[in-house]
Amino acid sequence: MNMIDVRVAAIEQVTPLIKHFKFVKEDGSKLPPFSGGSHIVVALDAEGRTYRNPYSLMGSPTETDAYHISVRRQENSRGGSAYMHENISVGMTLKITHPVNLFTLAKMAHKHVLIAGGIGITPFMSQIEDLNRLGAEYELHYAFRSYKQAAFVEELQKACGNKLHCYSDSDGKRLDMDALLSNQPLGTHVYVCGPSPMVVGVLETAKNLGWPDSNVHNEQFLAPPVGESFKVQLAKSNLEVQVPAEMSMLEAIEAAGVQPEYLCRGGVCGRCELSVLESDGGLEHNDHFLTESEKASCKKIMPCVSRTKGKRLVLDL
Amino acid sequence: MERGYWIKSKPIYTSLVWHEKATSHLVLASGIGGMAALKLFQQMHPAQPVTVLYARYAQMEVDYSETLKKVVPDNLHVFKFEEDLLTELKSIMPHMRMGLRIYVAGSEGFIWDVAKAVKPFGVDDAHIMKEQTDTLARNVYCVHCKAVTKSVTTNIVACCGCERMLFVRDHFSRNLGAYMGLMVDAESPGELPAIEEIYP
Amino acid sequence: MALNFKQESFRDDYTYKNSPEAIKRFPFPFPEDQYMYSVNIEPHTKGKPGSVYEFPFDIDEHYVAECHDRAITLAEDAGRYQALPHMMDAQWDFLELAMESLSSDYPEHFTLTKNGSIWTWENKPLGIHDTFTFGDSTTLPREPFDYMGRQVQGDFVLLDQRDETLYADAGMVTCQADWSLAFNVGMSWREWHGPVPKATELGVMDRALKYLMNLQLANPVRRLNWTMTVNPRLDTSPENYPHWGGDRNKVNADNVSELIHLRVELQSLFRLPRSNGIVFSIRCYLMSLKDIATYPRWAKRLHRVQKTMHPDLIEYKGMTKFHPLVVEWLSQFDDGADIGVGTQPE
Repeated sequence: MNMIDVRVAAIEQVTPLIKHFKFVKEDGSKLPPFSGGSHIVVALDAEGRTYRNPYSLMGSPTETDAYHISVRRQENSRGGSAYMHENISVGMTLKITHPVNLFTLAKMAHKHVLIAGGIGITPFMSQIEDLNRLGAEYELHYAFRSYKQAAFVEELQKACGNKLHCYSDSDGKRLDMDALLSNQPLGTHVYVCGPSPMVVGVLETAKNLGWPDSNVHNEQFLAPPVGESFKVQLAKSNLEVQVPAEMSMLEAIEAAGVQPEYLCRGGVCGRCELSVLESDGGLEHNDHFLTESEKASCKKIMPCVSRTKGKRLVLDL
Repeated sequence: MERGYWIKSKPIYTSLVWHEKATSHLVLASGIGGMAALKLFQQMHPAQPVTVLYARYAQMEVDYSETLKKVVPDNLHVFKFEEDLLTELKSIMPHMRMGLRIYVAGSEGFIWDVAKAVKPFGVDDAHIMKEQTDTLARNVYCVHCKAVTKSVTTNIVACCGCERMLFVRDHFSRNLGAYMGLMVDAESPGELPAIEEIYP
Repeated sequence: MALNFKQESFRDDYTYKNSPEAIKRFPFPFPEDQYMYSVNIEPHTKGKPGSVYEFPFDIDEHYVAECHDRAITLAEDAGRYQALPHMMDAQWDFLELAMESLSSDYPEHFTLTKNGSIWTWENKPLGIHDTFTFGDSTTLPREPFDYMGRQVQGDFVLLDQRDETLYADAGMVTCQADWSLAFNVGMSWREWHGPVPKATELGVMDRALKYLMNLQLANPVRRLNWTMTVNPRLDTSPENYPHWGGDRNKVNADNVSELIHLRVELQSLFRLPRSNGIVFSIRCYLMSLKDIATYPRWAKRLHRVQKTMHPDLIEYKGMTKFHPLVVEWLSQFDDGADIGVGTQPE
């Protein structure tokens, strides 16, 4: 995979838990333009291992003197977000992937309803730039715990004006999904990014109101869950790899020197799909990509987020 | 015909069934398609508002309007011609909201006329439930002169635009609502295969 | 190295000819004696200097004549260019990719100067010199895709990615192997590959779609496809089939090596940045059997491949009428010797 070398140009503590990082190219040239909703994967070499974490790109997709990401420090971090918060400082160099978009705006939509919860605001930070540039009709609904913990409210007010609607738990203001989705013009698309209950809520409400699936979009990156340690045997490479409890299978395979293909590292895109030749226990499928029947067949696995319940797994790699 | 063959560029038409999840319903039927609308009301009378538009005279002179009047509770509109129905459809579409479900029954030509009429309002044809009734007649797009010859029942037809003899290919464009017609005797002028009615 | 652009025609008197250098760099598509319809996609990485894979967009001695032929076809039938309204970002993406590639790979022929969003484009072979504002269509003589598509060899289709598939929502198609853009525009992947025989049953098209949906920026891919065409005619469109279909009757044992051309499409696909669309580039190379046979290895390979071709594929590619003549003519070169795997001429 072609990686881009970037330098950390600025870091800002946006809220007690969220840091905003600004990346520029070493030679001062522009970074590639992208489409609203794209993410990059940031590769971090630390403590003898490589973290590769996906983050949504914020800011203008067309004015790309710099890339912007925001990282929320996760409570049960496997180390990626904690490392970003504690060890990355201005002037350091990092490797990032080219932007990938798994959360695109529907170009033919007549209207866009964007729904964000907490740090889920980040993909919308670039999408609103695209929507403003195209003069599209949209509204952004942003729910968070309190104004103190909410990132970018001022920027959003400036960019979206009266299209922005904020909902703060601490003020007791709630987003009524049913009311929001039951009176939208034909051709409206709804997009949601946020905590799982919010995403599920939007998907279910839209379904119950008769919205076609293709008008409903969500982004729900998974952080690779921690689990038990197990062994993976790579049949083609003739290698045995120990997957530690706090590492994903994909990370462990990479650390052993094998480079499977990947894109999102969050169980969404399907690129890292591997064939399972043998397993001594059931598979723990955590991805959103495989169908239920594929999951049940135990023949395929997405090593970026999934694991085995047993002790040993043989993969066709 | 080759076994296992199907026209991948054409959707498979089904029988109309109510969507349970909806905020309102719009049923569009023409000619014998009125029967498909009647069958819907045999399934149930939905809790949500229903609008029915029916055109009496389609390819065949069958009229279900009297029966429909007895069955459809309110919001039934009957038209003499399909064109009038389509005009009314375009005038009511701006008032519709997300959650509307659309059902159409009639000839293939009528189905795609409806799809074309609602597309500018943000409705994709994939979300319209479609039942083909009346006839298997095909609309044929001449790839040479771009004219569309309507209601073709034969494997080969003279183009209404350029008069070339067109072979009706099993390749369908949803955008055009028509099958591709390709000159049949370009390589051997005047030599035509037998012309047969295969889309009655 | 500056290219020597030829004056030649792809219609009427057909003065198109390949130089010995052009023959040698021809992307011969058969690495093995048997042909199987397959996805055969590989990364579109930089190839050897002088090869058709050296640059993302290959410009050769036929450049000026091909652009001229395309202009004639577009003037006769405006339907050969289509762009649905939601494809404007993809149009600019295409213009940027083509201008940046050509100006950096062929600097003696093309120049791009940027001053913020004010761009100046100079195309010396075609005598074009324009200054415009990137992103503002009104500052160009035509829509961006229409403008730049006319200045690159090959056909182009812009694909929009949505609803878990790809849609052919814009195109400039004037040198196609018998498919109609006007008919296909707006179709999804499955719809426009509907007429491909056997392939879909084998799941080839579904696998290719899954692969392309994950195509990444800066990581283009390519594959070769092929057919045979009577005369060096670029425009073998269904639209003009009445004009060229009859040529299939003119092939005989005496003229088969000059009339029949192996038509190879170098298909490459690039992810586009702003639109998240994909440009599908179909670059056509035409080589007469006679020119191919200047390399005996190619003649042997082509003979074996054609001799064992499945009848359905012969029919699908429109070769039924003249195919026995092709096999017969090529047989004189085939001594049955093992020539190993690979597409190299010698």
